Amino acid sequence: MTGRVPSIACIGVIGKHNNPLHISLFPAEERAPLEFQFLLSSCLDIFEARLPHKPVDQDFGLLQAVDERLAMYGWLTNTGIKFIIVVDMEGRPATALDSKAATAVGLRDADLKPAFRALQTAYIMLLRNPFYNPDEHSPVTANSENRVGSTQITSRKFTQEVKRIADTWAPGVTTI
Amino acid sequence: MSSLTSPTQTDPSTSPTPTDPTATLVALSSLDFLLIELVPMAYRITQDLALRDEEWSSGSTQTARRDVEGSSSVSGIAVSGGSVSGTSTSLTSGGANTATGGLTATATATATVDEEEAREAVFHRLESLGYRVGLGIVERISRNTPRPTTPLDTIKFLCKDLWTLLFRKQIDNLKTNHRGIYVLTDNTFKPLTRMSFDTRRFPAAAADATTLLGGGDPNSLARVQPFLYFPAGLIRGCLASLGIQATVQAECTGLPGATFQIRTVGAKA
Repeated sequence: MTGRVPSIACIGVIGKHNNPLHISLFPAEERAPLEFQFLLSSCLDIFEARLPHKPVDQDFGLLQAVDERLAMYGWLTNTGIKFIIVVDMEGRPATALDSKAATAVGLRDADLKPAFRALQTAYIMLLRNPFYNPDEHSPVTANSENRVGSTQITSRKFTQEVKRIADTWAPGVTTI
Repeated sequence: MSSLTSPTQTDPSTSPTPTDPTATLVALSSLDFLLIELVPMAYRITQDLALRDEEWSSGSTQTARRDVEGSSSVSGIAVSGGSVSGTSTSLTSGGANTATGGLTATATATATVDEEEAREAVFHRLESLGYRVGLGIVERISRNTPRPTTPLDTIKFLCKDLWTLLFRKQIDNLKTNHRGIYVLTDNTFKPLTRMSFDTRRFPAAAADATTLLGGGDPNSLARVQPFLYFPAGLIRGCLASLGIQATVQAECTGLPGATFQIRTVGAKA
């Protein structure tokens, strides 16, 4: 289909223990949360399987594509945090600003790199906040303290930054 | 002077971009000062907490009695975590947990905190501060390094990258039994390089300072110990972030050297 360009449909931040730290959908009202949770879950095994072949790089590239539209890209930090970006190949209508190349050719793995880098920076900034305690967001601590409820990230700044990344990203964008 | 960025990285693709907000410059001495000042601060806080606790628990016996009649201002006492008993027990435990975290557990016990307990509380405070710093710092510095595949790799990363970042030098010696125990030796541990022993007899006026920092013989190595709690916690935090659960024990056998024994969970001696 012409006239539509890829956009980010979902950004997932998954913790060390495969616990969801943050999931954002774009646009939130048009996406089914459960469907994307399944998609994110289905990526976790791919990380495991590829890990031995990835001694240096944090970029896992294309993890899988479920259909014509949705494709998942992954990134694993040295500290075990997984970033997953689900790209919708027909996410939004093309505007005059989009180059012809972006609409014609498919995505390259390198196209996602800036988005992942920005995500990682956002996560580092979150950890620089002294009031954010990573252990509070781990299911291990939550279980040992018999805490109920979500262990997801509640920082508004982080959520906004994730949204900004998703909005800014487009194929060919080099800095976010 | 130096940034958090390792100076060896010159490749523009790996070094953080100019827009990287985490690449800020800080005077190198500030970390040295911080590491030194942290220890007396921890002692002061522990002392203040103990004093306040004493006040609360002596005051709460009266307020608790009032509670039995009125039971209105329960939440106010709950925060103290003192010895409020009877009617408001459940609230007390809940309040203490949320208000001051695990630290109250070590700080409350008795009104008159003896030396051993103060030492424990200070240790706990400094160690957990270091732990949290370790968790954060490793996220930042490991972003452009290769993924450590074995535990030994992780320890090496610690000895080289982390140590260079924090103390401008690498660890001098790493020993391991290949079963989960690692001993890192730093012959000139930066935070200890400014320390010296007084070879003359200690004047009586300084006795206060001595008891403040661990007591005993003014020239004993035990006085160095508190300054190693924070780095030990930092190592533990870094390892935890890289996926290794461990306990870290630091000790000083002679200034300005320091050894850190890392015992990973499930290690065999």
